[in-house]
Amino acid sequence: MEQLKEILTPALFAGMIRIATPLALTAIGGTICERSGIVNIALEGLILIGAFISVVVSYFTGSAWLGVLGAIIVGALFSLILAYFSINLRADQVVVGTAINIFALGATGFLTDFIFKEAGATPGVAGLNPIKIPILCNIPWIGEIFFQQKPIIYLTFFIVAISQFILFKTQIGLRIRAVGEHPRAADTVGINIYKIRYLAVTISGALGGLAGAQLALEEIRRFVEYMSGGRGFIALAANVFGKWTPIGSWLGSLLFGFAQALELRLGIFKIPPEFVKMIPYALTIIVLAGAMGRATAPAAIGKPYVKD
Amino acid sequence: MNFLKKTIFTILTLSIIASLSLTLIGCPPAEEAVEEPTPTEEPTPTEEPTPTEEVEFKAAMATDVGKLGDKSFNDGVYAGLEKAEAELGVEIDVVISEQQTDYVPNLTKLAEDGNNVVFAVGFMMGDSIKEVAEKFPDTYFGGIDISLADADFNPIDVPNIREILFREQEVGYLAGVFAGMMTKEDSIDGINADNVIGMVGGMKIPPVDRFIAGYIAGAKSVNPDIQIEIIYTETFTDPAIGKEAAIAQYEAGADIVFQVAGLTGVGVFEAAVDKGNYAIGVDVDQSISSPDNAPVILTSAEKFLTQATFLTIKDALEGNFTGGDTAYGLENDGVGLSPFHEHEDIVPQEIKDAIEKAKQDIITGTVVPPETPEEIE
Repeated sequence: MEQLKEILTPALFAGMIRIATPLALTAIGGTICERSGIVNIALEGLILIGAFISVVVSYFTGSAWLGVLGAIIVGALFSLILAYFSINLRADQVVVGTAINIFALGATGFLTDFIFKEAGATPGVAGLNPIKIPILCNIPWIGEIFFQQKPIIYLTFFIVAISQFILFKTQIGLRIRAVGEHPRAADTVGINIYKIRYLAVTISGALGGLAGAQLALEEIRRFVEYMSGGRGFIALAANVFGKWTPIGSWLGSLLFGFAQALELRLGIFKIPPEFVKMIPYALTIIVLAGAMGRATAPAAIGKPYVKD
Repeated sequence: MNFLKKTIFTILTLSIIASLSLTLIGCPPAEEAVEEPTPTEEPTPTEEPTPTEEVEFKAAMATDVGKLGDKSFNDGVYAGLEKAEAELGVEIDVVISEQQTDYVPNLTKLAEDGNNVVFAVGFMMGDSIKEVAEKFPDTYFGGIDISLADADFNPIDVPNIREILFREQEVGYLAGVFAGMMTKEDSIDGINADNVIGMVGGMKIPPVDRFIAGYIAGAKSVNPDIQIEIIYTETFTDPAIGKEAAIAQYEAGADIVFQVAGLTGVGVFEAAVDKGNYAIGVDVDQSISSPDNAPVILTSAEKFLTQATFLTIKDALEGNFTGGDTAYGLENDGVGLSPFHEHEDIVPQEIKDAIEKAKQDIITGTVVPPETPEEIE
């Protein structure tokens, strides 16, 4: 118990926020995408592309913020591949997403070698530094957990709130959900299904890219081959755990982040790290099995829409 | 009909993407697979027989998927080949493996080319080297970090394979002596008053555990009350987790964290930068291979693959080649602690003396570092 008291510190929760941020950004992107009826398996690849582009841009321009911008833009552009294949060509979305993941892994590895003449990892680049929010950062506990972090982490708090608002309180949000639930009905009232789906996929690409930039520029200050490390798939789990809502996805990411941060401090309790790695997926199964209330995917998910 | 056309188009385009990505991952054109390693020398065609002269001695390596440029295993072995070329006049060659299925063909090719010694790099090439070595009994093989085993995981020896292993525990011990004493020097910036040091391991596998066991034993030998935080990240390729693991240790009072975690360890250095503390590198002199992190890397626990490769070629050339396990440790310069570089001045002389003494004790056998953490209670 004494040991547990030592572990439950603000630092633990600050670690939870750091670990959860790339998951949350990606999971929110996945939520918006899936709400419009497109399965996005490619999140893992989008994180990787975002991380790589952010480092390349930061390396050549010396500006981390341009790197972040580049990651968002290229992430969005890259997701257009998924959009075109699954919306226009009606390809199997899981297959397209998997192809993008494989492509992202190969392309970033090859280009690391090609551009930097280094295998495995790039040299260090300009990264983003922590910003202490005046006054708020001095609040005991809360200050250390929330207000001494790095900029994309702050940005993520806004993105959670804004995306929740847009998805459930605005017309465009209603349209995204309608298209994912019953595209035929949405079509008959004049909603442009393709346009809405393109928008949703692009947003998920931009958020995936931003997640990659967070990982690369705020955490490691360089690109390391396969640094996404399965976060795209954990984000998918967080998305299901959060029942396809941005806030839910965020809470799911925080839970996974907490489990991970705790595990790293629990060495003394000899909990096998493999056990913690299992938690996101085990929780997802529990949620899907209905143990925590109904979790229903958007009805039209994964189905291409054919306009008559 | 339109739908059918679109489906066909989709399949075609997908297969183009898939094949493109496969090209980027692997399957290079054959002529790229063999790199010409001697830019300074005119490549001499070896096929031409020169009956009056002695047949030239040839050594070659097949990389693992890390390829040349990894600043670790593959580069280290290649440097050993270059050293043999320069000092022993051996002709050298290298084949790059793009994927694990290249191992057997690449090793076979090198044996067929008439190389006298063929190196395979890394634990994962164990089965491949065994398969090829049995087909070419007159060729010597060197397996870096490879320990051969039969189907029931019992260790076996093949007469023409030298299993080149390192006594990581010996250099781990020196790193432990160093960290155990340094953590008390709290007048130095970045060293705190807590008697705690850290350790981030990639996975619980024998080479990693040998480093860890030595580190613990070494630290306790000079600082019996020291607290040593140990975390396995269960990955060698996730630097963000490595960073969080190290942050957790720095926050628990550690001021020096030793990482044995491959690319995950990159994150340990980043944590040291963020927290203003220090780290110890591994395998190669990481102050040189990761120059932008040099300010936080006090030293590195090196495995001198270059030396081990060179010695193996030398043994083969001089007719002293022996198969089976061959461990390289402190006494034959197989492992060692890197120079302190920019930290040379902050490391007190008594610590340098203690490291030197520990080194001599290990070489003379007065001290035998443990191989697994479980041996230390």
